[in-house]
Amino acid sequence: MIPRRSSRTAVAVLLAGACAVGVAACGGAKSGSGAGSTVRPASSARGPSGTEAASAASATETVTGEGSKQTLIVYSAQGYAPNSVKAFEEETGIPTKLVENSTGPLFARIQAEKASPQWGLFWVDGQEPFASLDEQGMLVKNLEIPKLTALGEELVPVDHSFVPTGITLACAVIYNSRELTRPPTTWEQLAESRYAGKIGMNNPSVSGPTYPCVVGVMNHLGSEAKGEAFFEKLKKNGLEISETNGNTLHLLETGQISIGLIQSSAELGATEEVKGLKIAFLPKETVLPSNIGVDAKAPPVVREEAQKFIDWVLSPAGQHQMKIGDPHGDSLFWPVAASTKPRPELPELSSISTQQVNPYEWGKKEASINRWFTAHIVE
Amino acid sequence: MGCGSRIGLESAATDAGSASVALAASRASSLLPARPRLGLTGTMAILIGLLLALPIGAFLLVPISPRLLAQGNSWFTLSAFGEALSGPSLHALGDSALVGVGAALLALACALPLAMVLHRTNIIGGRLWQFGVWALLLAPSYLVALGWERLFEPDGVLMRAGLNVTAFQRVLYGPLGVTLVDGLKGVPFAFLAISAVLPGLGSGFEHAARTHGAGRLASLRVVLPILAPALWASFAIVFAETISDFGVAATLAYSAKFPMSTFALYYAVGNEPVQFGLAAAIGWTLVGLVGVALFAQRRAMRGRSYQVLSGRTRPHVRVKLRPAAQVTALISVSLFFALALGVPVVGAISASLLKSLGTATHGFALTFENYTRVTRESALYEPLLYSLRLAAITATVVMVLSVPAARLLTKRAAGRIGRTIDLVLLAAVAVPAIVMAAGYILIWNLPVMHAVGISLYGTTTLLTIAYIAGALPNTSRILVGPLAQLHESLLSSARTHGVGSAIAWLRVALPVLSRYITWVWLYCFSATLLELPISELLYPPGSPPISIAIQRRLENYDFAGGTAIEVIAVLGALGIAALVLGGYRLLAPRGWRQVGLAR
Repeated sequence: MIPRRSSRTAVAVLLAGACAVGVAACGGAKSGSGAGSTVRPASSARGPSGTEAASAASATETVTGEGSKQTLIVYSAQGYAPNSVKAFEEETGIPTKLVENSTGPLFARIQAEKASPQWGLFWVDGQEPFASLDEQGMLVKNLEIPKLTALGEELVPVDHSFVPTGITLACAVIYNSRELTRPPTTWEQLAESRYAGKIGMNNPSVSGPTYPCVVGVMNHLGSEAKGEAFFEKLKKNGLEISETNGNTLHLLETGQISIGLIQSSAELGATEEVKGLKIAFLPKETVLPSNIGVDAKAPPVVREEAQKFIDWVLSPAGQHQMKIGDPHGDSLFWPVAASTKPRPELPELSSISTQQVNPYEWGKKEASINRWFTAHIVE
Repeated sequence: MGCGSRIGLESAATDAGSASVALAASRASSLLPARPRLGLTGTMAILIGLLLALPIGAFLLVPISPRLLAQGNSWFTLSAFGEALSGPSLHALGDSALVGVGAALLALACALPLAMVLHRTNIIGGRLWQFGVWALLLAPSYLVALGWERLFEPDGVLMRAGLNVTAFQRVLYGPLGVTLVDGLKGVPFAFLAISAVLPGLGSGFEHAARTHGAGRLASLRVVLPILAPALWASFAIVFAETISDFGVAATLAYSAKFPMSTFALYYAVGNEPVQFGLAAAIGWTLVGLVGVALFAQRRAMRGRSYQVLSGRTRPHVRVKLRPAAQVTALISVSLFFALALGVPVVGAISASLLKSLGTATHGFALTFENYTRVTRESALYEPLLYSLRLAAITATVVMVLSVPAARLLTKRAAGRIGRTIDLVLLAAVAVPAIVMAAGYILIWNLPVMHAVGISLYGTTTLLTIAYIAGALPNTSRILVGPLAQLHESLLSSARTHGVGSAIAWLRVALPVLSRYITWVWLYCFSATLLELPISELLYPPGSPPISIAIQRRLENYDFAGGTAIEVIAVLGALGIAALVLGGYRLLAPRGWRQVGLAR
């Protein structure tokens, strides 16, 4: 039999734990709180059962003087997202909260939430993540598309399940002009011996924009097999594989490589900050748009708010925030919103040879191509 | 308002009728069958089950029954294990095991002499060196690894300074380098476990050996076996910490093309397409590795008693080093800290002071611009204050919970439940934090939870609970050393004099353990302040902790700005550590501070 006193100790331990966590709950529950408004979990407000309960969990309900609104929860990896979310909330009065992280962890969060999604709107670079979510039935279809440029229209999927908000290029050439006077002008030249030991790029398993880069090269060269042969040649010549843009840029700036193949916005930012770095665009650069998708299980109120967010992002006010929010990084994009000019640092997109890859076709191969890349090129 | 006052009112109401109720209850209890009581073991089992076993178990269930947690179509499959136990994953597992053993041995080899010198000799600057150990503990492993890389990489700081470090580069960027950095990072864990028991050992055993003619080294042979629980605990902690560490695996090991399991696991969780099944299967293999370590520990300790700390323990006398020995000790300790702390500090500081990390283009122009830039931004303060608050709450709760948890780990009578708790706690150290975080989402975001009104996911409360769960396994194990040596006679004597178990603990054991508990608070506080994987998956919308703010900067190639924030946060944590230690010195009764101290 367990002594009575140890039972008291046990209760004391439980109480101590409960009180301390209670303190955390009392003093620290910031989620969803907005100035001048009362917030309660939407699930308790909308009834407990079934899909409705699950969908209701994707937002908190805010009771304001103007009526009932729900907090729009934005998951984004875009450097300008904090600015955009703040400005949207101020201008529209719609309570909006941001979960900011790189694409991978956000995607992991969405996947783990699958049983009861909490996110309302997903805003990241690349089409493959959205194609994957769309095929799993996790995105609202038939979104209204604001007026876009011709290229922007081409990037909208047939079912309107996601909306492009800007364009970067998946992997242009950035080179150190002090060490390299003649940059390559074609993809094939990169495999020549004169560039041996001088090229670096990111790992597509880690860096979001690099998978479109890899499949873009495969698409341009004509097949997956030809692409693999090309990367194997680069590997034989000493291709350096880093995790992300920052790591590849660091190798470039410290002279460990002379050429980097990374996302154009990161390259443009680096050339502004570091003298001697220049960019060269090769034929058939792969277009890498940023996109917005909306949670298919979101309640109607949140869907409406998400649609308003999309409309606002592609309006002059939203485009302005995107252009000023991360001036040395993601803000260096080519707009797809009609009648919007890019930042002055960007060259004319029409002067660059570009291509698009089918995200639904290549998205299905992502796991196998990344596995191949890791086994044959990274290791 | 709310929590505190409500509890106060309820307790007042309870007090009013307590006498009559107690009398009635005592009469009734003699007539009614005994109610089942929870007990310490049962309570801790429930807590650890909810905090750790449930979420980790949920995640580990994914490769076996993905459909159960809405992560796939199969009710039963083992296919993910095939991938986890073949090809690159198996290779990474072998690397992790190798580095884990090497790092644990290296950490022990450094920590044991370091603890002996700092605790049992009159080495100059003893307190400063001890603070150095804490500073090393506070430094995130990726910061330590990056420091090494910044200094020794091709065209890095040392090469630019004209030093030829090519030969060392080959060692650093390989298994030996990874083991070296992981081992040095593991030293504080081993040091704390060993130094927790060293002072309590007193000098009696050494004196007895010396009286019987043993030399100084021979007397050490008497003392070392008594330290076995601490040494094994150190080995197990450092091994588990190393195989679950992501910081070194993602930086130095990655650059060295030396794949480790944690990196493979993070790949599977944090990248498209997300493969929870594969990640969980890799998690199983890591738990298996820790199982082997735990088995070795149990085999070594089975059936032996290591209880030496009692009311009769006398403070040991510090050995007065002769000048030559003093110089040798100082050089050795300085060399250790130069390697373990100097390299990452120089790396971090130089990175945060350089105009850009572009040494090829900017040279070594030093500037405080990065500090002024990040301190001007209001975006820094909110995450920093938020993380400080959560770290303090987490450390306080963990401080309370880790004592009974550690007590169970050392209690022989704890039985099967105690052994299960032991296994769960050590397995939790081995499982990377992101596994637990994903498990928290799977469990606490189930539709059934929302249906019964438990909507914790996406709140600060759940983030704090997850922090607590993440810290508890390590801190409990740190306390195992001192608790294993707390003689039962101390508590028995108190109970003989008429006090209950809880009071005996508060009045007798707590003073003896107070110093170690303070250390646990500090360790937990610093580890939580810069915690990243749990924060990434569980932080509430709109409230990013400081680790997320730093991570975003590093990802956007603002290495200098990100590192500057890290330096500020680490300095802040060191400041708080100094305050807490100073407060303990000022406020704790003299007797508490005297336990186990040298004269």
